Amino acid sequence: MQNVSGTFAPILPDSIKAAWPYRPRYAQVNGYRMHYIDEGEGDPVVLLHGNPTWGYLYREFIKPLTAAGYRVIVPDMIGFGLSEKPSREHAHSLDGHIANLVALLRGLDLKRITLVCHDWGGPTGLGFALSNLERMHALVIMSTWAWALPPSEFHTRMFPWRTMHAPLVGPYLLGRHAALVKRGIYLSVVDRARFCRETQHAYEFVLPDPDDRLLTWAWPRWIPIDDTARALKRFEWLEDNLRSCTLPTLLVWGQQDDTFDPQIFTRRFKELMPHAEGPHFVTGRHFLQEDSGPEIAQRIVDFLEANR
Amino acid sequence: MQATVKSISDEALEHKRRVLVLSEDRLAHYPEFREFFIRKFSLDTVGFSTPGYVRGTSGGDYEFIFIGRSGQRFPSGVEIYALVEALEPMDATAVDHDLWDILRWIFTEIGGDWSVKTLEATGRLYLIPAAIRRGESEHHDF
Repeated sequence: MQNVSGTFAPILPDSIKAAWPYRPRYAQVNGYRMHYIDEGEGDPVVLLHGNPTWGYLYREFIKPLTAAGYRVIVPDMIGFGLSEKPSREHAHSLDGHIANLVALLRGLDLKRITLVCHDWGGPTGLGFALSNLERMHALVIMSTWAWALPPSEFHTRMFPWRTMHAPLVGPYLLGRHAALVKRGIYLSVVDRARFCRETQHAYEFVLPDPDDRLLTWAWPRWIPIDDTARALKRFEWLEDNLRSCTLPTLLVWGQQDDTFDPQIFTRRFKELMPHAEGPHFVTGRHFLQEDSGPEIAQRIVDFLEANR
Repeated sequence: MQATVKSISDEALEHKRRVLVLSEDRLAHYPEFREFFIRKFSLDTVGFSTPGYVRGTSGGDYEFIFIGRSGQRFPSGVEIYALVEALEPMDATAVDHDLWDILRWIFTEIGGDWSVKTLEATGRLYLIPAAIRRGESEHHDF
């Protein structure tokens, strides 16, 4: 991995820096510039976001984890946050994003890694974990999935999911009008008034223009909804390998999650990984970190202390 | 309400410039969309030889450039260009509303699962100005 020097990120406004005071770092992964932060010392905990967020989603996790003696690495997926944002849909693939994570975490030569996965941080993070087991220590899984079929009921509905990702509609709604950034996260938190008042601007700030938002409409098209899906084989591989995965695992879910139903999806993970601790249900919809960040962070600290 | 977008056969391009306003790399994500463009613009016979043209609700004209990719059925993608006066600024609001009406037109023509009603509801859920405007006008119509 090539470390990249220089300043690439936009200057964050004080309102964001107040909650995200961390030194930006950059690495070149598979030809792209990836932003990450690296705070604290100890066994590494890697916090992985999904669509359409960035590391900021974990702002309330970092201090509790570093205070408990862990090194916290939070990358921004290529296409999101302060990382490079390719302008062509063909730049993105599930395997490519897994390989980006492999490049970063191997480049940092991390060992005894705890991966905390959310949304697309699930398939990408678990893809890393299951192909680099010798570097792994534990998993924390939140509001995500790791199998080909069946999809979440939410992802099969014409309203709004399939319609908003139809050809041309996706680039119009999510690209031109930032539908997922400006509205989608808001719809998927519990305390919407607080989110609007304190947080939403941090997600909009890093995806200011339509081309920046490409991955917000490209990622959903990789979610398998039938057997013609592009990443079907990779998801089948994830599922097969999770069945034999014995890593200590913690399941945390938002009890109001209407994207990945808490009962259905935690039951499926428990079938694949019967040894997993939980599920622990917290206040939260899909973006549960926004409603229960400190509680989840403490839950992770307790889980790691019990599995040292 | 029927979409008022119309396909047109030709357009005088003199003194016009093309402004890329919407692009789609994966037209076959749902194949019925690609089939619609083949049917509407006779792409099985004209291929790459000529773009498609439509006139939007505002009276503005749009050019559809179809994209081919090796290994994929044609067209694999499409770019939509607003045709505007060469040295004049584009009316971005009018274009945005035209694009919404073009989407409504496409959904109307494809039909089946792809209902304009669902598209409109999706637009309103995500606070898309053109969808809200149309929703308000439809409300007043009643």
